[in-house]
Amino acid sequence: MINQKDKEILLEVKDMVKYFPIRAGVFKRVVAHVKAVDGVNFNVFKGETFGLVGESGCGKTTAGMTLMRLYDATAGKASFKGHGDLLQLKGTALRNMRKDIQMIFQDPYSSLNPRMRVKNIIAEGMLTHNLAKGSEVNDKVADLMQKVGLSTDHMYRFPHEFSGGQRQRIGIARALAVNPDMIVCDEAVSALDVSIQAQVINLLNDIQEEFGLTYIFIAHDLAVVKHISDRIAVMYLGKIVEMTDKHSLFDNPLHPYTKALISAIPIPDPTYDKKRVILEGDVPSPINPPSGCRFHTRCPIAQDICSKEDPVFEEKKDGHFVACHFVE
Amino acid sequence: MNKDKRPLLEVKDLTTYFHTEDGLVKAVDGISYEVFPGETLGIVGESGCGKSVNALSIMRLLESNADVGGSISFEGQSLPELSERKMRGIRGNDIAMIFQEPMTALNPVFTVGNQIEEAIILHQNKSQDEAHKMAIDMLRKVGIPEPTKRVDEYPHELSGGMRQRAMIAMALSCNPRVLIADEPTTALDVTIQAQILELMKSLQDEYGMSIIMITHDLGVIAEVADRVVVMYAGKVVEYADAVTLFKNPKHPYTWGLLNAIPRLDIEQDTLYNIPGVVPDPLHFPEGCKFNTRCTFCEERCKKEEPELIEVEKNHYARCFFIEKVEKEKAKTKAGENL
Amino acid sequence: MSVKKTEFKRMIRRYFKIPTNVLGTLLLIIFIIIAILAPVICPPKAGADPFKIPIATWSAAPVAPTADHPFGIIGGRDIFYGVIWGTRSAFKIGLVVSLISALIGVVVGSISSYFGGWVDEIMMRITDIFMSIPFLVAAMIMTTILGKGLDKVMVALIIFGWMRVARLIRGNILQAKSEQYVLAAKALGIPDWKIIVKHILPNTIFPVLVQVSMRIGSLVITAAALSFLGVGAEPGYADWGTILSYSRNWMTELDKSWFAILYPGTAMVLFVLAWNLVGDGLRDTFDPKMK
Repeated sequence: MINQKDKEILLEVKDMVKYFPIRAGVFKRVVAHVKAVDGVNFNVFKGETFGLVGESGCGKTTAGMTLMRLYDATAGKASFKGHGDLLQLKGTALRNMRKDIQMIFQDPYSSLNPRMRVKNIIAEGMLTHNLAKGSEVNDKVADLMQKVGLSTDHMYRFPHEFSGGQRQRIGIARALAVNPDMIVCDEAVSALDVSIQAQVINLLNDIQEEFGLTYIFIAHDLAVVKHISDRIAVMYLGKIVEMTDKHSLFDNPLHPYTKALISAIPIPDPTYDKKRVILEGDVPSPINPPSGCRFHTRCPIAQDICSKEDPVFEEKKDGHFVACHFVE
Repeated sequence: MNKDKRPLLEVKDLTTYFHTEDGLVKAVDGISYEVFPGETLGIVGESGCGKSVNALSIMRLLESNADVGGSISFEGQSLPELSERKMRGIRGNDIAMIFQEPMTALNPVFTVGNQIEEAIILHQNKSQDEAHKMAIDMLRKVGIPEPTKRVDEYPHELSGGMRQRAMIAMALSCNPRVLIADEPTTALDVTIQAQILELMKSLQDEYGMSIIMITHDLGVIAEVADRVVVMYAGKVVEYADAVTLFKNPKHPYTWGLLNAIPRLDIEQDTLYNIPGVVPDPLHFPEGCKFNTRCTFCEERCKKEEPELIEVEKNHYARCFFIEKVEKEKAKTKAGENL
Repeated sequence: MSVKKTEFKRMIRRYFKIPTNVLGTLLLIIFIIIAILAPVICPPKAGADPFKIPIATWSAAPVAPTADHPFGIIGGRDIFYGVIWGTRSAFKIGLVVSLISALIGVVVGSISSYFGGWVDEIMMRITDIFMSIPFLVAAMIMTTILGKGLDKVMVALIIFGWMRVARLIRGNILQAKSEQYVLAAKALGIPDWKIIVKHILPNTIFPVLVQVSMRIGSLVITAAALSFLGVGAEPGYADWGTILSYSRNWMTELDKSWFAILYPGTAMVLFVLAWNLVGDGLRDTFDPKMK
């Protein structure tokens, strides 16, 4: 995490949409869509950590996968420095882009091929993109393993011989092996124990400066996101409801959902006095999101207009964006 | 603390060993604690520390390869010595349990109503109709909207939060004295978690029951627990009331955990790093089980296992060198953190 | 790589820990030895096709076991010879049919799940059609069309035997496709074909191997059934089923023909048992959850 933000924009996402078709009937006709990501706009600056946070069904993981082109976007544009519109790339151009944006996955137990040795897991990307040859490969792999805190003695072991935290480190080394500019961390620490989470979070912070990385950090744990991010975007049912730097978000949240989210998180201090905003009801289905502002069904300050008009996502203060009709 | 009241549930030197083909696994290795009427006892620890196995041991829900030793006493009765029939009369009736994954804890082929009624009919000798009415009441009480409709629905038709509420309804339907909640909100979204914790607190006030809250989330513990047991590698490493534990932890593991979690309320530069990993239960280290990861470890720790001693009034810790933790705390207090 | 060797050694140790695996493997080894030593145990007449059981007597009635013919004679043929050389036939049928049909199944299943969409639909419907035809009936029709002979039996068994493998591998591949390590490989820019070969197949092929070994036994029984019904191998062929088919005429007089059923029957039962035990053992050994 660096304090002085390089205002250079690395990624510019405009109106990105991802719908999943639901098919039914004998001829598998499309009867509805899961509107997982429904028009998101954000920029990621070089060298920063951009946190994307929300609860289940908000679309944050889908957004990450769409940017990685593991899903194909339904609409929208994502300009990545030097590659043009990410979402439209094909063939060789797409393959080349893959060197520059990598991903760290959530499940340490399914993100590594159980039948491949660690060395080959880490080296595979390097070899595919011809970044190293012959004996260089071993040296580079050893170097990466050391950087992520693994012993090079274990180079020829299989994933099942490692703990969850170590497997995540292998995943990090795998991503680093192709020298990416940006890494999307998709719930990278969510499946780890608390004490191991801390280790991996510290590691991600340490290597960021050394490797000049930009992170998109996707998570549902607001405290973790707050710790590691520079700027944060809060998502709800496929849209971004608030986006700003982390201090402003926690000192002065503007959107009622952000306020509820922050107050819902239990603080490890029994004497902490907190005004709780408890939201009623469940998260609506992304197949049939509520009309107007999607949050109006659970919003403590909802008015008539909220069920009719979708609020515009716009900059209310310097760098602080909100989508709400009633921002003070 | 409630030293004058008699404890409702008393666990003394509980051990649960599993005989596996790879050797003996000491999942719980001599833990003791008490639960008083109307209070919430939090049991906190990371995965593999034995907190869930401990709950299953109390409920006698483990399989035959488990060796449960020690004493578990509920309202004066020794639970391990009861006949299976008598134990069944206690399960779901006097001591109830809710689990982490509501989808797997609820039977998918029975309606929610059916499952609640089952417990009522079994323990309270009511007719099907009466039980059905009571089930609807319970669903309403746990905050499920349209309970008359929901009572006939199947678990998969409800959302995660609803299912957890249904499970709470099932557990509370017979007005238990103790509710054991094993990671009840871990699988839920944070805003739903807040709802469920509020619900549990208000139901506790209404029913006057005790809750054993088992979780790895220190935030949840701080929210709901009156007293806390910290477990590591099958043992209790610290035991105190909640405020004391959070403000004045004595054991290096507790102190380490509190510093390792990212906090919303405090600025942190780097998270404290507890080095190493939880030891393999088949190969616990000699001496103090935490010695492989403890920054304050000395020679003595590698040979001798410390006892759980009362370091201040009603505050117990299992460590030879708690003064080192004190020194460290003083240092950081002088700095920027806790 | 010493790590690979120790991994392998561990699997072997785990395999032989279970007594039924040891039994199955031993039985198999005995059968293999018999098959290899067939020419030594029962030397064929010079110039004759070793797979034709030599005629021992011209009388039609079965002859009980004697010193010269330890398993007796039926239909004029020496049962002992038939059982010994029948071991070779059993291995031939079992291995050839199961391996080739497995190969077809793997190709069909892989293509189907890799391309998805219409290709998948069509291929799976074709598979369904083949599966809906009763196996024995289909095999009988095929041999009627193609004629008698063990090789024709094998062709019939192959044509109607690949579907299960296709379905199995397709299911495994579809599941593997959504594993995070496959997504990771895609994210690294690894081409699709390489993903299938390096990541998906190695993780999905083992259940197929297990199924293959378990099928070998049942294939031999099916081939024997066909021979028993008279639509299998040519008469006098050294094959357990053919021997049994001779006993068809004497089924009402079991006291006279018990040996014609007992010896080839026992051989078949033990053969199937051996493959089943080995297949079970392989499945347990390859189960990653047993780490």
